[in-house]
Amino acid sequence: MNDIRNGVALACERMRGPSAPLALFLSCVALFAIGVLERQSDAVSAPDDALVGAVFGVALPLVAYLVSERACDGMRLDRSVDSLARYGTNRKAALSGVLLVSTLSCALAGALLAVSALLGAHAPHSSTLLADLRASVGIALASGVVYALYFGAASLLGKRGGGRKWALIIDFVLGSGGSALATPWPRGHVRNLLGGQPVVELSQASAWLALALIGVACATLSVARTAE
Amino acid sequence: MSDALRDTRRGELRFQALHHAGLANINASFSAGTHVVVGSEYDGTGTLIELAAGLVEPASGRVLLDGVAPWSHARTRKRIASLRASETPLPTRDVAGALGLALRARGEARSALSVLDDAGLSHFAEKRISNLTPREARAVALSLALSQREPALLALHDPLSVVGIVQEDFVLRTLTERSAAGTIVLCTANRLEDAARLGGSTSALSRGNWLEPAYARPPLGSVALRVHTAEPRRLAARLSEAPDISGVEWAGGHELIVRGNELERVAHSLVANARAEAIRITAIKPDAPSLDALAAARAGLAQAYYERARGAETGAKRQA
Repeated sequence: MNDIRNGVALACERMRGPSAPLALFLSCVALFAIGVLERQSDAVSAPDDALVGAVFGVALPLVAYLVSERACDGMRLDRSVDSLARYGTNRKAALSGVLLVSTLSCALAGALLAVSALLGAHAPHSSTLLADLRASVGIALASGVVYALYFGAASLLGKRGGGRKWALIIDFVLGSGGSALATPWPRGHVRNLLGGQPVVELSQASAWLALALIGVACATLSVARTAE
Repeated sequence: MSDALRDTRRGELRFQALHHAGLANINASFSAGTHVVVGSEYDGTGTLIELAAGLVEPASGRVLLDGVAPWSHARTRKRIASLRASETPLPTRDVAGALGLALRARGEARSALSVLDDAGLSHFAEKRISNLTPREARAVALSLALSQREPALLALHDPLSVVGIVQEDFVLRTLTERSAAGTIVLCTANRLEDAARLGGSTSALSRGNWLEPAYARPPLGSVALRVHTAEPRRLAARLSEAPDISGVEWAGGHELIVRGNELERVAHSLVANARAEAIRITAIKPDAPSLDALAAARAGLAQAYYERARGAETGAKRQA
């Protein structure tokens, strides 16, 4: 438990500084503006368009990628805790701490991004705003967690964690479709949850399950592939 | 302390058929006491320390401390204190924060300030990590390594290179204490003088090749002192008969170069002989070997090692 706490402390120190909150604030402002523009273009479909395209399609994966990069200090996830491991900390436990911080950060960032876009896309006194907020924030929290675990596991590939970059590209390219090729990546399932095109005709309940499986598989892989 | 615990601490560090980066087939073992490996980072000393401390995984071969690979065993790493060739402090705001996190990871309740205070580095406590020079970062890491109580292994890369920031007396005294308490003290030294000051058994690494203590000792043990006196001729005549002095050079003027195998014996003999003749010595300075001399010594070591290996191979063939 102490080793997990040390991993959390290490990741928190890496996340510290004004740049991360500033980038998140600017992203929220940009998404609010996109939401407003979507509303002016088509008020009915504005919330869906802003969420599927700007928030969950672009902003959240990018933010999760950057958070993972920063929490791991630009290294592989397993090597990112070497600075603690030299003092006797169990790498598996410390890595879990780092993942905990990055998942919480991504979940929180995802929720803020979704809220910003919805506030822009909905009219000020819209009756559907609260319902949309409730549903979208739930999806954003889950997506943030899964994306953080996904990029963490991907960073185990490559000498300097280059797999993380490839994971972002593959999620963009393969996850955009609805074929079986999109199944292992989070994007298609998140889109399904938002009411978009499902992956291999999976129901929304199955999309939740698929996301959970991806998250658990990535976390298990990360811990299993790391030396004590 | 129980006997069982004492036995565990008095362990053995073993390199078995180790190949990693520039290191070629290292086979060596170290028991409690001080062991110095002479060589530069280019020779692979930095990698050797990282492997010994379990900071990197060997590409092939094994590194074992008490029969356990430190790379893949957290509890074993907890019993190791190390100083790398290049240190990157933990990413906190200031030095005290970085040390605090390291101490927590080590499972120690003591404060960062007490660690810095012991090494005379308390003025670093509030210094920002980003403002530390590489040498200062190594000095802080050394203070942390030396603060560990009863480690099984102290693996230190060129610890005397930070003398000036950390007091030499503190470093040498702590190493002696740890060594006497049963810790394996494995240090590297880039300079021959540093190896002599660290004491213990001396081995060498030359371009990744291991030179065992028996082959490393004679040429590396050679020391020279520059002695200033008003009566160099008389002193040279007297020293030429002294048993601990292997050679005396006088090129005119007031300076003599006195050579021998061990610094302490040479210095003691020099002072004793000068006192016996009532000759006044105005200055004594250690004479660092030239780079050419060092290269020649290294070449000699490599040749000796090669010939020994060849002899062993021929013997084995004859027996077969």
